[in-house]
Amino acid sequence: MVEDCLSKFVQEQLWNQVPVAIALIDRDFRISEINSAFKEQYGGGVGRPCYEVYKGRKSRCKNCAAAKSFSDGKTRVREEKGRIDEGEQRYYIVHMIPLRQPDGHIPCIVEMSTDITLTKQLEHDKIEAERLAAVGQTVAGLAHGIKNVLMGLEGGMYVMRSGMDRSDEERIKRGCQMLEDNVARISTFVKEFLQFARGHTPKVKLTDPNKIAQKVYDMFYQKAAMAGIGLKLNLQEKIAMAMMDEMGILDCVSNLVSNALDACEISDKPGRSVSLSTLDEHGALVIEVADDGVGMDYEVKKKVFTNFFSTKGSDKGTGLGLLTTSKIVQEHGGKVSVESEPGKGSVFRLVFPRDRLPTMHKKEEG
Amino acid sequence: MTDSNEGRKKILVIDDEPSVVIYLETLLQDNGYNTISASNGNDGMEKALEHHPDLICLDITMPEKSGVSFYRDIRKNEETKDIPVVIVTAVTYYGGDPEPFKNFLSSRHIVPAPDAFFPKPIDKKEFISKINELLA
Ligand SMILES: Nc1ncnc2c1ncn2[C@@H]1O[C@H](COP(=O)(O)OP(=O)(O)O)[C@@H](O)[C@H]1O
Ligand SMILES: [Mg+2]
Repeated sequence: MVEDCLSKFVQEQLWNQVPVAIALIDRDFRISEINSAFKEQYGGGVGRPCYEVYKGRKSRCKNCAAAKSFSDGKTRVREEKGRIDEGEQRYYIVHMIPLRQPDGHIPCIVEMSTDITLTKQLEHDKIEAERLAAVGQTVAGLAHGIKNVLMGLEGGMYVMRSGMDRSDEERIKRGCQMLEDNVARISTFVKEFLQFARGHTPKVKLTDPNKIAQKVYDMFYQKAAMAGIGLKLNLQEKIAMAMMDEMGILDCVSNLVSNALDACEISDKPGRSVSLSTLDEHGALVIEVADDGVGMDYEVKKKVFTNFFSTKGSDKGTGLGLLTTSKIVQEHGGKVSVESEPGKGSVFRLVFPRDRLPTMHKKEEG
Repeated sequence: MTDSNEGRKKILVIDDEPSVVIYLETLLQDNGYNTISASNGNDGMEKALEHHPDLICLDITMPEKSGVSFYRDIRKNEETKDIPVVIVTAVTYYGGDPEPFKNFLSSRHIVPAPDAFFPKPIDKKEFISKINELLA
């Protein structure tokens, strides 16, 4: 009795009322049966090839998951790009479940696709919102830094002019020095500001993360050696390529390495070292910079990203490095994480979940 | 520079920017004050307890101990709670209105608000006349 009800429920209600498009695909990759949701989404399709209906293609997809399920009998779940609908790319989660006869033969595959375009859109909006927040913070930070420089310049002018009024050689020199210091700071600002501005139009392309790490290593190797700091490079072999803005990420990694070297230089421990590593971990690309320098206490750690903040002398620090870094990383859908202990050292990690990395507007796959 | 100028009022300048410190000290000395300086809140607290300045010029964003926590501490300490404090900061307050920031500084009125507030870069004349007024 219950079984009858259940099979009726499956046949009539479930089949036609779930908001999931379901089709049966036969061994010729033709659609043999569809439910109501499918009909609504694709406007029919019985008797036509699946690739034509799903993707608007003329031949079978490379990497056809249905073909694989026919041959190994396994269920597959994939995220697929569907057709472009009124100019909008649609995304689906597709379940492919082989239907098996008692003799083991698989006559068809049940393909269930759930439209996740909206979810994707929300995710994208969230990344965009995070990006904008980072931009706002950076601009506020810049304004802050520039005001300090301006005050330094006005101070230099005051000291120099009043020195001239009193024919006080010492004062004139001091004023000049203040002007020079603050002009030098402006050039550092401009350089970092350009770094920041370039992030606006990231040039994203398929990039080898190890190549970036190697370049940064080459940039800093000499400097580290001269300061007596060991710089080590640990690359994960054959790490997968990633869609990234190579210049942007290069800036991020060099910011981290430069900070790590500064942290070692301040510390007076012997045998200090910095290591730069690449690795894949839980579906994310990770670029890690670890040092055994001075480390940070809770107060400093709290502020490194959120505010315009530097603990270095005015000639060295701008407090822009980590802000820019987190902005660029966020633009790639990633996060910067930090672990640190005063006196022990710090570990900064750029974590890029691979499924959040930018996607290319390449020609439809195949 | 001029500890010999006995009888002059003494001002403590706290800022982590060397140029700002030199600027403010020179300007204040030129206007008849003695000065001492500190480059962060901890150093500033020591100097305040040791020298009992007549007024403090305070920056907000500084390493180690920020101006915010320095301000709250100095207002809670019996020895220092009545020293006038003039904030000189690059912190941008919203829409140019310093009131919310003053409230924040006074921990929402647990301690009194600072005596004056100057955004960087300062207006020299206004700055000096405010200091003269506070020390009159
Ligand atoms: N590896 C590190 N070890 C210790 N402190 C660090 C490290 N990286 C960053 N910091 C702290 O974070 C602050 C901000 O860094 P950053 O944004 O790069 O600015 P800057 O290097 O110009 O000071 C530094 O001044 C320092 O106090
Ligand atoms: Mg830096």
